Amino acid sequence: MLVASLGVSWIAAVVLALVDGRRRAVAWAAVAALGAAFVLLAVLTGLVAEGGDREQVAGGWPAGVGITLRADPLGTIFALTSSGVLLAALAYEVIAGVRSRMFPALVLFLATGLTGLFLTADVFSFYVFFELSMIAAYVLSTYGDEPRQLAAGFIFAVVNLLGSFLFLLGIAAIYHVTGTLGMDAVAERIANVEPSAAILIAVVIFVAFGVKLGLFPFHFWLPTVYTSATPGVAAMLSGAVANIGSYGILRFGAGILPNELELGAVVLIILGTASIVYGALQATSRRTAREVLAYSAIGQAGYVLIAVGVGGAVGYAAAVVYAVVNSLNKTLLFLSVEVRGWLVGAAFAVGAFSVAGVPPAAGFFGKVELFRAGIDADSAALVLLIFLGGALSFVYMFQIYQRDFWRGARSGEASPAALRAVPVAIAVLVVGLGLWPEPLLAAGRQAADLLLEASR
Amino acid sequence: MTLIFSVAIGVLFGSGAFLLLKPDLFRIVVGLVLIANAANLALMASGLGRGRAPIHPLEGERVSDPLVQAMTITALVIGLAVTALLLSLAYRVYASSRTVDLDELSHAEARHEAELEREDLSF
Repeated sequence: MLVASLGVSWIAAVVLALVDGRRRAVAWAAVAALGAAFVLLAVLTGLVAEGGDREQVAGGWPAGVGITLRADPLGTIFALTSSGVLLAALAYEVIAGVRSRMFPALVLFLATGLTGLFLTADVFSFYVFFELSMIAAYVLSTYGDEPRQLAAGFIFAVVNLLGSFLFLLGIAAIYHVTGTLGMDAVAERIANVEPSAAILIAVVIFVAFGVKLGLFPFHFWLPTVYTSATPGVAAMLSGAVANIGSYGILRFGAGILPNELELGAVVLIILGTASIVYGALQATSRRTAREVLAYSAIGQAGYVLIAVGVGGAVGYAAAVVYAVVNSLNKTLLFLSVEVRGWLVGAAFAVGAFSVAGVPPAAGFFGKVELFRAGIDADSAALVLLIFLGGALSFVYMFQIYQRDFWRGARSGEASPAALRAVPVAIAVLVVGLGLWPEPLLAAGRQAADLLLEASR
Repeated sequence: MTLIFSVAIGVLFGSGAFLLLKPDLFRIVVGLVLIANAANLALMASGLGRGRAPIHPLEGERVSDPLVQAMTITALVIGLAVTALLLSLAYRVYASSRTVDLDELSHAEARHEAELEREDLSF
């Protein structure tokens, strides 16, 4: 099961890389393969939630020697979300018409890399899957071949590669001080490591993931890339690739370096606050929908960071729930940016409500979890900040709505029905999760318990 | 030995970082290649031990750590792929904009944003 969910997209990617992705049959085959991988991941998530973790050691080696793949609640919820986002975004681009022969295969490679890194229990194979998905993302960010996209894609690649190499330096340091690469063994042995070395490792790894997530001091590459990419690619980057950052901070921070995370909690909360304030203010002052969404992505990353900084069962659960909800919001909003028609207007409004945290959209429960984390930390300032951030996001989302749907920038002929169906389907999912949030909240709690157990 | 490695890693990373700050696409690529190799060298240095290659070790013989070498060769291959990708990206930027100067590219970006502003005001 574990290998199959990873293998389907991998094999399909290699096969489809050899054929011309502009042909409709090939593009739809890619959608079907990604759909199959998504269904397998959904089954795997269900099995893990019911019956506990599943492990698979490569090559029949004993555990601790061979490279381990492991599905646990934290990994499966992120893998499921990311592959769902990629499925929706790929379907959207295929319906709109594929313009490059490699596009469907690249999306499948991205899906393989993301699934692999969420389901591995080995620090170095995490890096390998991470590079696989990032290389696919660099090429995808230039999809469309406009000069602006090429320049933005180059900057995206350079900044994120610098982050990747910092992460590689962090892995070298982890191996040097612990002598192992298995995540469990590292977490066990790092407690006995000299604090100065452990803190240095924690800082290097945090910077590497901060770049991926687009946090405030490392955000400078993000707006240009998100605004110049096509809607489908922007949805993939903000809904799926950015998850690497949230997952990495949770897995490496809370799971492997919990003492160092506790030490740096204040820094995390300050950086998160800076991200929220900066993102919200910049988004309010921007005029086009894509720019607003790009800066909003910086702000939303701040909430995840604050929840991790608060920590404990409530904080980690809030971080997981918020990361998942935020992926869905961003996918919905980016995919509806270029589509016309009143139904899409309604879908966009659902996304806007979800970002602001208004029921019955799923974003409401993301915000509720954050409020619980703020109250748990006994901090009135945090609760106020989360409320203020929500209010500002309400303002900037409805500025776009007003400009695009009321003042006529996007009125006129409706887009083809198939194209409209994608954002509407995600909007239905967002409302559905808002009306029946128990599975998501339970998954968040399970993931938080797992992290707390690992750090004990 | 450790000192030589740390000095080499430091020099590689430093010169890479210096080249990254230049406003020229190809210097940036070379800078990243240097930083990638600093990371590779750090990987090698993380398991530095004297001994024979662990192909068929005899009883009581010291062997060197094979894991760091396996990791480094993987990282090298990834570095090669990334360099090829970056060079082709830089070439496509040059082919479409006729410049490899980052300042000129950002001027083009600023012009684009000014156009967006104007379109917006005309509503």
